[in-house]
Amino acid sequence: MRGGALLAALAAVAALAAAPPLLGEYRTTLLLPVFGYGVALLGLNLLFGYGGLVSFGHAMFVAAGAYAAAVVTGVWRIESFEAVLLAAAAAGLALALPVGALCARYTKIFFGMLTLAFGMLFHSFLFKFYGLTGGDQGMRVRRPTLLGLEFEELDKTAFLVGPYYWYCLAVAALLALLMWRIVRSPFGLALRAQRDNPRKAEYLGVEVRRTRFVAFLVSAAFGAVGGAMLAVPTGLADPELAYWTHSGTLVFMTLLGGFAHFAGPLLGALAYVLLQDWLMSLTPYWRLLLGAVLALIVLACPQGLMGLPALLRARLAARRRRAAAPHPAPAE
Amino acid sequence: MRTTRRELLAGAAAAAAPLGAALPLPAYAQARPLRVGILAPRAGVAGTVGEVGLKGVEFAVEKLNAAGGVAGRRVELVIEEETNPRETVERARRLALQERVDVIQGVVSSGVSLALGPALEESRILTVFWDGTTQDGVNETMPRPRWVFRSTDNECEAVMGSLMAIKHFRGQFLTVAGINPDYSYGRNNWAAFLALLRRFNIEHRVVTEQWPRVGGMDLTANVAALKAANPDLVFSSLLFADLPVFMRQAHAAGLLEGRKWVFPAAGFQHTALKKEFTPPGMVFGHNTLYFADPQATPLAREFVQWYHERTRDWPHWEADRAFFAMEVWRRGVEKAVQAKGGGAWPSNAEIAEAIRGIEVVSLGGPGRMRPDGVAEQTFIQGLTVHDPRYDFPILGPDRITRMDGRQLQKGPGQDFWRWIAEARFDL
Amino acid sequence: MAALIEVLAAGLFHAAVLFLVAAGLQLVFGVQRILNLACGSFYALGAYLGVTAGGLALGAGLSPLLALPLLVLAGAAVAALGPPVERLLRLVYDRDESFQLLLTFALVLMFQDLIRMGWGSQPQQVEGVYLAYGQVQLGAARIPVWNLLVLAAAIAIAGGLGLFLQRTDFGRILRATAENRRMAASLGVDTGRVYAAVFTLGTALGGIGGALVVPAAAAVPEKAVELVVEAFAVVVIGGLGSMPGALAGAAIVGLLRAGALLVWPELELLAVYAVVVAVLLLRPAGLFGRPAA
Repeated sequence: MRGGALLAALAAVAALAAAPPLLGEYRTTLLLPVFGYGVALLGLNLLFGYGGLVSFGHAMFVAAGAYAAAVVTGVWRIESFEAVLLAAAAAGLALALPVGALCARYTKIFFGMLTLAFGMLFHSFLFKFYGLTGGDQGMRVRRPTLLGLEFEELDKTAFLVGPYYWYCLAVAALLALLMWRIVRSPFGLALRAQRDNPRKAEYLGVEVRRTRFVAFLVSAAFGAVGGAMLAVPTGLADPELAYWTHSGTLVFMTLLGGFAHFAGPLLGALAYVLLQDWLMSLTPYWRLLLGAVLALIVLACPQGLMGLPALLRARLAARRRRAAAPHPAPAE
Repeated sequence: MRTTRRELLAGAAAAAAPLGAALPLPAYAQARPLRVGILAPRAGVAGTVGEVGLKGVEFAVEKLNAAGGVAGRRVELVIEEETNPRETVERARRLALQERVDVIQGVVSSGVSLALGPALEESRILTVFWDGTTQDGVNETMPRPRWVFRSTDNECEAVMGSLMAIKHFRGQFLTVAGINPDYSYGRNNWAAFLALLRRFNIEHRVVTEQWPRVGGMDLTANVAALKAANPDLVFSSLLFADLPVFMRQAHAAGLLEGRKWVFPAAGFQHTALKKEFTPPGMVFGHNTLYFADPQATPLAREFVQWYHERTRDWPHWEADRAFFAMEVWRRGVEKAVQAKGGGAWPSNAEIAEAIRGIEVVSLGGPGRMRPDGVAEQTFIQGLTVHDPRYDFPILGPDRITRMDGRQLQKGPGQDFWRWIAEARFDL
Repeated sequence: MAALIEVLAAGLFHAAVLFLVAAGLQLVFGVQRILNLACGSFYALGAYLGVTAGGLALGAGLSPLLALPLLVLAGAAVAALGPPVERLLRLVYDRDESFQLLLTFALVLMFQDLIRMGWGSQPQQVEGVYLAYGQVQLGAARIPVWNLLVLAAAIAIAGGLGLFLQRTDFGRILRATAENRRMAASLGVDTGRVYAAVFTLGTALGGIGGALVVPAAAAVPEKAVELVVEAFAVVVIGGLGSMPGALAGAAIVGLLRAGALLVWPELELLAVYAVVVAVLLLRPAGLFGRPAA
């Protein structure tokens, strides 16, 4: 089983690495947000899927990562993308320390509401502190160097679909591996235990609040790193990244992929980006269709795309059982 | 019915003919139409502005296709929605890389244009912005772009509104207050106004600065705070739906009486500012298109009628910005084709070169694309009057001021504050 | 003094509208344990119905002075959406709260576009109502009568709700269901009907809030997502699920904003959030809420 998962993961990475020439420039640029969102959603799902905590303010960490990228490349003029990613993780952690300390006291709806409130507090900070953050105009994110290489000869599109694409794929793969280790660790076990039964977990010696708090920190760091990865193709960090509807979209993506599976968030990021791209080119009323898709998933397929095969198999089995039942099928 | 339609088409062709006929163009038998990608907001606070811009595009394309297209090639549109910066950059890439458009036009919000400008420049995609800016505050972030052409800047209406305030109200105020939207546009407007008061050595005291959220709509508390501050003059770059809401609430609270009012950006909502709550005698900015301009060109008059027939409303400046962007690009293409002398179709790099310095007549008046890729257009502001023909105030025909962008915009590479301190302004 | 009265009146006007939305939110949460992100959408819808009804009625020659009852009715018409939406939500009552939250988020996305399909993206206003009511002069202070009427309507609704919940049989059933659904069901309460009624009442309150504010403001689609944040600030301060909490929270947020605008306008939003954070630190369940489990 474990070997199978590893093999599937390696195959996916290999396929993605070989994809750009086959996909062409546009579809390749479309995959870039998938990596950024994928990383952020892995973090979100540590809380959501493994911890049972739905954050409606997680976009604040994505925004924190994007602004960290802007400060590092634009203000400090440090071009190394490695430095950007580290700074983003640090920014995410710094923000998550106070917020997490408060939010970890709560679960369920209260947790969702509090994270929403803090997310909006951060949004209004970004918006109001004009001199520091550029207000609504945000802050520019300059093109970074990768492993010290500048790629001067490439224009932005070529840079994005070439070196940046592979770099982000590698970062996403490494962070996915790290998250895999985290959820399989004793800590991951404790997190799941407090989700399923906090009181029992407490009896078994799990420090419930601390576990939640640590999960919050890890999740924030992943969110911020994902935000930095998203910010480079856009070239800007802006306050809308922290708006609560963006947080809602993050949860939507996770659910779309399937929060109960490790790879769900990654698939969710891919599916959402492709879905939105398709719907937006179809109709100006794409939000309506996205909302309908979300409602449909919540109602009919709560395990998301990852759960779809199992759902279909169950349906099929049920139908077969019905077909095999003694009473005859109606004549044509 | 049929005759009407034919007449309309004939009229359109005749009106457009002088534009096309001026240059003897080589005939291009290329079957592929030119594709123009448009990015315009369809929802949110700027959604209504985007719709007016799209009408400007529709009119422009109807005209130029009726006249045989651009250098003999028809134009077709690919429209995408402008949303937040990140998504709009992705939409722009889609237009360029997937839809293979020949040029991108559009964009209203400054936040989006700031992100989009560098992204498109670095990706070498020919672009003409309608509106927005690539200035961080008032500092240019793209000094000499090759591919991206920017709109005439936001600072223009702020500077002109301030000059108008000084021209009409000098000596009649001491205390001033600002109520400006809480984003960089509002901040820059207010800062420019204060800088110009200092430039003209006008004694003044700021009694309050209000920064309502864009689209917040409930302004009763701001109105109460303004009334408590009791200023002689209020400068407000409120726009979108916030402005009529503010005016109605201000009127009800008795804030409007006995004060001077300056609204450099009111034109976006001019028809929503009903006479019952919008007094005469205010400085009112129509930016680059005033629908009842007595000096309007026949083409502009035709557009205003065309627009009114379709929407039962009167257009504002975004239609002109969209028309201007299309016109600048069309003329650039034709100039580049001309320069090639009938050989191959020019490259986008050649077209971009041709656009530099080009002069056009847009709906709102003459304008040009500066060599550094910033537009300069004609701005119109004036004092309001109540006219029985309209249920909203219009500009008093004898109180209209028209200024060229050259007088309202800092030169290439200049610092805005230094320019304000040193420029010569004609009042 | 006059300035103070005007600022106070402005703050209370804002509070009145916030209260109506927050009351709907509290009612639904108190009974059904569902946090409805679409509360702002019902408010926006109420505003648009108010615009349409107001426009039609005034166009047909109705006196603008009859606009108040008309707008209350138009806003309450949003209640028609209550039963079908509740029917949809019923499918997830037994599921995790996150799914309920997400389903209401899906509603937010859909309503945003449905409103745009119905009314376009142009802001909509009701002309000729707000000013027709005139102003009252209190010394040097001048306050629009409409603002006072909205305030009075909100107080009347608050009082009516209080009486309804405390004194009527249905109110008692409702509170019993909120207390313990299973117990109420075993005592013969048709909880399904109670839920449908509560949700419908909640949507009506939000809709009335939207319709009442529209003559003073304008209907814009994006208000649906903005209001959610303010309504949340109100319920966090007041305490989730508590009606007196909604009243106190709305008054605090409304007055705080108005006061901040007078003293230090830049602090408008941050002052509200500062109180939210302070309440969370000192009294996590809110001023009137019961401590969370």
